[in-house]
Amino acid sequence: MEQLMIELNPQTTQPVVQVKNLAKAYGSNVVLRDVSLSVAEGSVTAMIGPSGAGKSTVLRCMNLLEQPDSGEIVIDGHCINAGKKTSPKSLAALRRSAGMVFQHFNLFPHMTVLRNVSLPQERVLGCSREQANEKSMELLKRMGLADKADQYPSRCSGGQQQRIAIARALALGPRVMLFDEPTSALDPEVGVEVLEVMKELASTGMTMVVVTHEMAFAENVADELVVMADGGIIEKGHPGQILKDPQHERTRRFLRAVLER
Amino acid sequence: MNNLVDVAIEYGPTLLGGLKVSLTLTILSLALGLPIGLLFSFGVTAKNKAFRYISVFFVEVGRGAPALVLLQLMYYGLPNANLTLSSMASACLALTWTTAAYSAELIRGGMQSVPSGEIEGSHALGMSYRDCLRFVVIPQGLRIALPSLMGFAVLLFQATSLAYSVAVPELMSQAYSIGSSTFQYLPVFIVAGLLYAAISIPATWLSVGAERLLSRHL
Ligand SMILES: Nc1ncnc2c1ncn2[C@@H]1O[C@H](COP(=O)(O)OP(=O)(O)OP(=O)(O)O)[C@@H](O)[C@H]1O
Ligand SMILES: [Mg+2]
Repeated sequence: MEQLMIELNPQTTQPVVQVKNLAKAYGSNVVLRDVSLSVAEGSVTAMIGPSGAGKSTVLRCMNLLEQPDSGEIVIDGHCINAGKKTSPKSLAALRRSAGMVFQHFNLFPHMTVLRNVSLPQERVLGCSREQANEKSMELLKRMGLADKADQYPSRCSGGQQQRIAIARALALGPRVMLFDEPTSALDPEVGVEVLEVMKELASTGMTMVVVTHEMAFAENVADELVVMADGGIIEKGHPGQILKDPQHERTRRFLRAVLER
Repeated sequence: MNNLVDVAIEYGPTLLGGLKVSLTLTILSLALGLPIGLLFSFGVTAKNKAFRYISVFFVEVGRGAPALVLLQLMYYGLPNANLTLSSMASACLALTWTTAAYSAELIRGGMQSVPSGEIEGSHALGMSYRDCLRFVVIPQGLRIALPSLMGFAVLLFQATSLAYSVAVPELMSQAYSIGSSTFQYLPVFIVAGLLYAAISIPATWLSVGAERLLSRHL
């Protein structure tokens, strides 16, 4: 079967991210049941769904901020099996290949913007201070933040802080970027700056998984839309298709609620 | 009033000598106690049982027992266990214990108030647990704890006066011996009190200033 699909679609390469049969419960509260997902190289997957659906949990399991109960995660060839104990080395390798951007930025407030972006390069990649700073400045320029390098994050707007966080993650050269509601904590006007940066990133071929409530982004930028509810994926496919003609009643209800807001 | 000035002039050098001993005792106790306190701040929540039990024991006893009891224990008690220390050494040991115990709790409180999002952020970046402590948790935790640690240092400085009970020639015991040989207790203790205040009050201002300075970026 898999063989057949590869023949039918000659562009199919090994997916960058594969999540297989992921399950997770907090005590008796089952948060994820049997979630499987695969993200092709260079594609953008948008993930939507009601609050509590488990979107953040899927993302956080992908780089093991949360330990799944069962299932398998493969990112850029680094395979993590929930049943087996993960060695610190493969954990580090997994996290290096997946950059993560949080709703609340999670910058280090006691370091300048430049240090925020450079420190992980020095500690994780073993770069020298000069190498790291050079790369950081390049990324900050790309984010339109070169003049903020010597400021502290608290002196930057929310949109700027989120772009700093994106630069910090990109500096480690990840194969995939995971975004967990990157604009939800921002004013709509400021959120646009961040969405622009993400759009630009997508156009350069970065593989991205984006949990979002921004339907326009999901429709216009994403190649694949995943709808989650009650700990499972209820629908996935082409964004335009799903938004126009949702198959699942739960999806219809969610979209109605979002669009009527 | 004249009396006070006379006493200050005549016994000033002796009292200043005592003040120097008090300050030395404070600085030694802080220099030894704070690093141990940092260690205990991890110990009290450590997974390793031996480390945790030892830390909890020293922190709880150090905070639970009055400094005076610890002082007497080190000076009069330890010789029963065939360990005789000089008065300065035993006072230093006792106050180091007090410092370690109190600072462990203050530092732990500081580190706990570092937002968990930042810790997650560092993990998501692939930084090791050790790097996360070294670059994110400890610097910010100490920064948060610093004003209260400075406040504690002032209290410790005042608590060195208890060392007079184990014959350390610090400010209080100098004042006491001058008083008992001249019967000028009132002016001598006033001068000694002023000397304590001359250190404590500016140090308190300093800790308030430090608090402002350090909360600048937050
Ligand atoms: N640390 C935790 N302990 C216990 N329950 C948790 C924990 N984290 C998440 N949950 C629960 O898991 C479920 C899924 O949470 P998750 O954050 O993944 O949802 P979400 O789809 O991201 O929602 P939102 O849109 O509100 O961010 C929720 O019911 C939540 O209460
Ligand atoms: Mg969420």
